[in-house]
This record gives sequence, structure tokens and C-alpha cells, in this order.
Amino acid sequence: MSIIADFVIATFTAPQHVQTNPQSMLWLLPLVAAIAVAYKATKLPTITAAIFLKEVAVLFGSIVIFIIITALVLYALAWLITV
Amino acid sequence: MVRLSKENHVLFLLIVGLLGWLVPGAGHFLLKEKIRAIIIFATITLTFCTGLYVGSIGVIDPIGAKPWYVAQIMNSPMVAVLGHLTAGGGFPVYGKPNEIGQIYTSVAGLLNLLCIVNAVYWAHLQRIEPAGE
Repeated sequence: MSIIADFVIATFTAPQHVQTNPQSMLWLLPLVAAIAVAYKATKLPTITAAIFLKEVAVLFGSIVIFIIITALVLYALAWLITV
Repeated sequence: MVRLSKENHVLFLLIVGLLGWLVPGAGHFLLKEKIRAIIIFATITLTFCTGLYVGSIGVIDPIGAKPWYVAQIMNSPMVAVLGHLTAGGGFPVYGKPNEIGQIYTSVAGLLNLLCIVNAVYWAHLQRIEPAGE
């Protein structure tokens, strides 16, 4: 038990290796999912599995699409300024 | 129906808010919203633990990263205990892991703040508009 506890504690005392590359942007997806779930948990008047999952999926998709559009606009602006 | 006094009503709202801060989702649990409470608890705890896993407990830095710490402490008073542990600089973390860890733990805290405010609002509504009236 003590070894397991030590192992669990040790997991949280040393940072993971995360590279700075385009793939690291994928770290935003779990965060967007968490935001969508917590927000919908507070906003829906009644929670049933089907409605909740649908609402969360719609919000998750909306946020991701908005982020992609923002990224494309910023990329186009950067391209126009630097060309 | 016996109406609660204004002082008792304020005390109840305070208890709901405080419980929601002590344990994410506990405010909703007190209001008998068990499914909502479980979803909130699981989401916020998982987000917070993911941040700690990626960046280590070093991302909780009450001295060097105070604005992040203000958001992180919204998770639970336990963050203050972790902040006390890391205040000496014994868990250094830099670069991308620090960035991701701080963002995850802070967003988890802000989400919990949203849930606390929501629970207090629902508690207020339940007291002034009891079901069936």
C-alpha cells in the first residue's frame, strides 16, 4: 500500500515531458471538453444522458470550430503582414 | 409553510457556497442534485489532476505566479496546502509542462467558481420559490 501511495505521489511531483510543437496544441481538446461538460452541467434544467451528451458535443464542436476560425484568421493576418 | 428568516437564508447560501468550494460539486449535492454534483466533481477533479500530472505540484506557486494561484485556489482549500508545500521552490517546473499545468489547474478553479455561483443561485431560488408554489 505504501509503495502504491509513494508511486501516486511521485507521479505528481515531477513534470511530464511535453515538446513545443504543433501537436502540443492538441492539449486544448481535453480542456475544451471539461469546459463544455461543466458549463452544461450548470445550465441544463434537467440532466438526461442523451440530452446532456448532445448538448456537450454541440458546445465542444462550437468552441473547437471557433478556435480553428480564429487561428486561420490570425494566420492569414500574420501572412499578410509578413509577405 | 414556515418561512426561514433572512439570516438563516443567508447562512444557508454561505454553507452551499462553502461546501462547493471545499469539495467541487458538494454545493449541488446539498441541493439534492446528485447527478449534477457527480458530473461537476468528476470534471473539475480530473481537469485539476491532469494539470498536476503534466506540470507537477510545482505549477501551484503562490509566490512566483500569484494571478494563477488566485484562480487555482478556487478548486479547493487543499490547493493552499499544496501551495505551502511548493512555496520553498522545491518543485521547479519550466516551459510547456508549466504552461499546460497552470492553464489546466486554473481553468479547473474557474469552472469550480462557476459551479459555486450556480449552486448558490439555485439555493436562493429554491428558498424563495419552493417547488409546487
